Amino acid sequence: MAAIEIESLTKWYGRTRGVEDVTFAIEQGEIFGYLGPNGSGKTTTIRCLMGLLRPGGGQVRVLGERVAPGRGTQHARIGYLPGDFRIWGRAKARRALGLLAALGSDGSAVRRGELAARLELNLGRAVGDLSKGNRQKVALISAFQHRPDVLVLDEPTAGLDPLMRQAALDLIREAAAGGAAVLLSSHDLSEVSAVCSRAAILREGRLVEMAPIAQIVQQGEHRLKIWFRDGMRPRNVPLAQLPGVRIVEQEPGMLHVAYQGAADAILKWAAQFPVDRIATPQTSLEEAFIQYYRQPNADHKAAKGGRS
Amino acid sequence: MSRVARPPFPFALLRFWLVRILPAWCGIALLIFLMQIAVSAIVHDNEKVKTMLAFIDMLPSIVKSALGGEMLRMGNTAGLLAIGYNHPFVMFLFMLFAVGTPTGLLAGEVQRGTMELILSRSVTKAQVYLCAGILTLVGMFALVLVMFLGTVAAVNIFTFKDRVPLEVFFRIAINGGLLASTFGAFSLLCAGTFGRVYAAVSVAVAFLVVNYFVAILSNWWPRTAFLKPATLFYLVDSSNSWQGWPLRNMGILVVILLAAVSVGAVIWHRRDLPL
Repeated sequence: MAAIEIESLTKWYGRTRGVEDVTFAIEQGEIFGYLGPNGSGKTTTIRCLMGLLRPGGGQVRVLGERVAPGRGTQHARIGYLPGDFRIWGRAKARRALGLLAALGSDGSAVRRGELAARLELNLGRAVGDLSKGNRQKVALISAFQHRPDVLVLDEPTAGLDPLMRQAALDLIREAAAGGAAVLLSSHDLSEVSAVCSRAAILREGRLVEMAPIAQIVQQGEHRLKIWFRDGMRPRNVPLAQLPGVRIVEQEPGMLHVAYQGAADAILKWAAQFPVDRIATPQTSLEEAFIQYYRQPNADHKAAKGGRS
Repeated sequence: MSRVARPPFPFALLRFWLVRILPAWCGIALLIFLMQIAVSAIVHDNEKVKTMLAFIDMLPSIVKSALGGEMLRMGNTAGLLAIGYNHPFVMFLFMLFAVGTPTGLLAGEVQRGTMELILSRSVTKAQVYLCAGILTLVGMFALVLVMFLGTVAAVNIFTFKDRVPLEVFFRIAINGGLLASTFGAFSLLCAGTFGRVYAAVSVAVAFLVVNYFVAILSNWWPRTAFLKPATLFYLVDSSNSWQGWPLRNMGILVVILLAAVSVGAVIWHRRDLPL
């Protein structure tokens, strides 16, 4: 049984599409990346998952139970970190976190102190007096303190310094290793590729891709850097004869191209010149993401059969 | 479809909110209590009463209507003591709590963005609404009790020529508390409906002000007397409480209160939190 199951989720705000026909599932112990540009529907999905919004269609199940809006379904077992984390500014961090822990648990399993020590946070200070990074630590503790079985994290490392960012990613990895299912929505793609096994890409409210991270990267453009021997470099690249190829960078003696599909055509063309050496720079998730971001007419791959 | 288990009642939230509103409640309660003592301090002395009645006579009739209308003409001690219950300042304090508590708790948490955190925990929207409702209604009746205790304390502090019928004041207080709670219920409805504090407060205050001025106007200007039943204040005309419990009026107030709370609960449950 998947920990999170979202099936044909649809939500419209009047005539504006929030999300449409979104389907995916997250298994226990899996860290699932949820990507998309601003306004693509990530927060809408998360809020429907948390029962904060009433979906227009489809259904959401958490830990086997159908989410009923406003009913706190399985929330005692969910750790939630909203993208725009706001908490009672005048309350001390300990008190604010204590309230959140007390809503739905007896507090016996709470690991607030341990997390505060790991994240180097003073719980005795009023939340309003904390810096943005320290408030984000409060947000992290609120999500993790009750040892949840499901984590829904929206930009969990926003505002953290590199050390704390690493500590936060460790927390996520540990939670997943302990069996928790993690939905990680983030704009930091290096973070997603560092911790997630699979990811979905959302654009304009629709899923356009859902696959293992490595596959998403593979499906993007590939890069090729070719260094030619001095004086023997090609003057013009016949792009019209090389479909799917674009020039990324061109210097005297060096050509950096991006291509889609097979490298055969570009390699055969380059072989007409004396090649000094070739390098294949790694395509990043960011580059793959930008491609999906740019393709306004990309196929809708709601991936109904794509659960893994 | 699996059955959704109801989370336990969020006493932690009730406690958290209680601590938040307690300073304001204490301040309002103190002022209402002192107001009863102050009115009694004036009323217990015959000379002061004469001066006060002469002063009241000089006031425009619409102001006299606001202070209790016909009751003041009776000139008896109990009627004058009732000024402490009808005084616009006391009403303002009650209404401040009635409007401020539900809007501050529900719409305030939504506007601050903290409602999202509360609802992300094991608590239902209905329970959150219930917590705000409990604090509003219980807080209101506690204020009424403080007002009545102010009269009880004043009667023990000062010596009055006539017997002060405390049972009548208790009835007036309970009836007044029911009215204030009804306004509190309407404010709860507004708080459950609007996502912004100012919108909820504006509608609740507008409803209150229209009711109040229609009540005064219809008491003051005979040609508008037909408007009297159109206001909620008509249901707490304190002259009704002298003979006994005004059960019919109290019943109507209870029905309006429950209707407002129920409609607010349905709207609150069905509406989405603003993004």
